[in-house]
Amino acid sequence: MIREHKEYRSKTRIYADILDAILRRGGKSGPTHILLGANLSYDRLMKHLGQLVELDLICEESGNGDKVFKLTDKGRKFIIEFVKVEKFAEAFGITI
Amino acid sequence: MFGETMSPQAAALIVFLMEMISAIISVLVGYYASKAYKTSSVKGLLFLYLGFIILGLGIFLRTVTATYFVIVNRVTEIVPSSLVGLSNVAGIVFSLTQIVAYSLFVATYVYQSKGIGEQGLGLGGISAIAVFPVARLFYIPTLEIIAITMLGFVMLSTLVNWLHRRTLSSALVYLGFGLMFFSHILYLFMIFNEGLLFFGQLSQLAGFVCLLLMLARVNRAND
Repeated sequence: MIREHKEYRSKTRIYADILDAILRRGGKSGPTHILLGANLSYDRLMKHLGQLVELDLICEESGNGDKVFKLTDKGRKFIIEFVKVEKFAEAFGITI
Repeated sequence: MFGETMSPQAAALIVFLMEMISAIISVLVGYYASKAYKTSSVKGLLFLYLGFIILGLGIFLRTVTATYFVIVNRVTEIVPSSLVGLSNVAGIVFSLTQIVAYSLFVATYVYQSKGIGEQGLGLGGISAIAVFPVARLFYIPTLEIIAITMLGFVMLSTLVNWLHRRTLSSALVYLGFGLMFFSHILYLFMIFNEGLLFFGQLSQLAGFVCLLLMLARVNRAND
């Protein structure tokens, strides 16, 4: 499971937190819920969401004028892999 | 406990097998750490990756070289002096690769800023001498003391981590390094009793098995 947030986060950690926030909303979420789930400012969130779309970890959908971000298969695999990496690192006392 | 039924050759074969398994597990853990580093770019994982790969390769090369020396010893019965000299150098090199690997493990935790038988084996007199002088050449007491100091630091760091997290995975890592630490203690006392090599190898293998169990557990997570 993705752990609680702390002051400084690496880019990978931020990506994982964003993807986890989307996953916890059933794999699809609007920016507001992601903002609250990932604990980011709006500007930083939009910047990272753009990067995640480019990396094909999420895709953007528009419905009823609202922007929605959906987890791709690649994004799901990334989260699974990240959780394993996190558990491996934590076993050695390394913080990601 | 093994009685008089185990021949020195069988004991040597078991020791070498344990070393090979330990080497394979070490490389496996290193490979997983490299994958983790590629995903997260955390430097501590890079040190772990390099440390376990170097450790695994060092153990593997030591096993292969020791096997060669034992075979030559068995065939010729009198070991050529050039080979003895070479094995002395090889022993130093292999011990140094372990020191380098353990230095990387120490670096992992410093970077993280965490304040962190003889009779029993049934060895015949002359036959044992044929095998264990070779083994003695690969374990240098001075370098073992350095290895013990470094592993002691790593072991304490992993103990602190386990006490903090209280997970089975962190316990397995602590146990793994603890058993490796204990194996080096046994190697150090090989100067008094060369039979301790077997138990040292057993302890080292047990340590690596703990790390393998941790890997299996982590890989099962969320599958």
